[in-house]
Amino acid sequence: MELTKKILEKLIQAVSKTHPNEIGCDDCFDQLDTFAQMKLEGKSPEEAMPLVEDHLKRCGDCREEYEALLEALKSVS
Amino acid sequence: MLNWFKRRREEKSSYETNEEWVKALSQPVDEQAVELLRSKLIKGLKPALYKYVDRELDQFVEDVAQDALLKILDNIDSFRGESKLLTWAMKIAVREGLTELRLKRYDDSSLEDFKHAEESGRDELTSLTFASDTPDPEQATHEQLALQKVLKIINEELTEKQKRAMNALMIQGLSITVVADQMDTNRNALYKLVHDARLKIKDRLEVEGISPGDLFNRM
Repeated sequence: MELTKKILEKLIQAVSKTHPNEIGCDDCFDQLDTFAQMKLEGKSPEEAMPLVEDHLKRCGDCREEYEALLEALKSVS
Repeated sequence: MLNWFKRRREEKSSYETNEEWVKALSQPVDEQAVELLRSKLIKGLKPALYKYVDRELDQFVEDVAQDALLKILDNIDSFRGESKLLTWAMKIAVREGLTELRLKRYDDSSLEDFKHAEESGRDELTSLTFASDTPDPEQATHEQLALQKVLKIINEELTEKQKRAMNALMIQGLSITVVADQMDTNRNALYKLVHDARLKIKDRLEVEGISPGDLFNRM
């Protein structure tokens, strides 16, 4: 298999930005409703919940769920 | 008697607070509340999932709402009230829907590499090659050395499970939901496994006097 430069960059960037105190998908999911609600209320969940924000940047599936949750909530508010 | 029914109906037609919702969704369950929640979940799921569903969106969303409702009712005791109940319930429904879609998309796909990689050895990180597209020979050499260094550390420091997970998630770019399912684990455990792997690589690079940040900046 041939590695593209983009993948190699992604790999090295992920390693360089690794922190011992990252949260996992379960902790992120536990707090995702509060995070999304703050966002929709115009508050800054990124500042209030930096570990959730950090996880959403790293984990594609959790980020996808967060974005879909925002869409869903906008349509029922 | 008729007035009593009318009054009862009016009293239960809206659920404004979390307390009202929790009471209505706890045993004995208020069916009217369940139906109201179902309709809200369906209303929210449609715009959230339509871009992932190529046909029969209405049926799919109704099925997801039904599965999510069962989970919501089973877990109503764990709702801590830190958000609105509808936000919490929608979170469960969105995950339910996206999880099903991811697994189905993978099953339907022709991505056989990961499914049979273990037997064929095709997920070996050692077999990776790298073709640089830079015209600068010095830069190309740097990229080649960076790859060799990272691969050497991966092969010396990581477990087979960590290598397999990193390859699937970071090289092949597969969904963590799919990879967890394929590896008979869960998302959280898989995330932790790869987090530990990233930490090992970072620590080893630093022990060897290489800053991962510098390595990236020179790419």
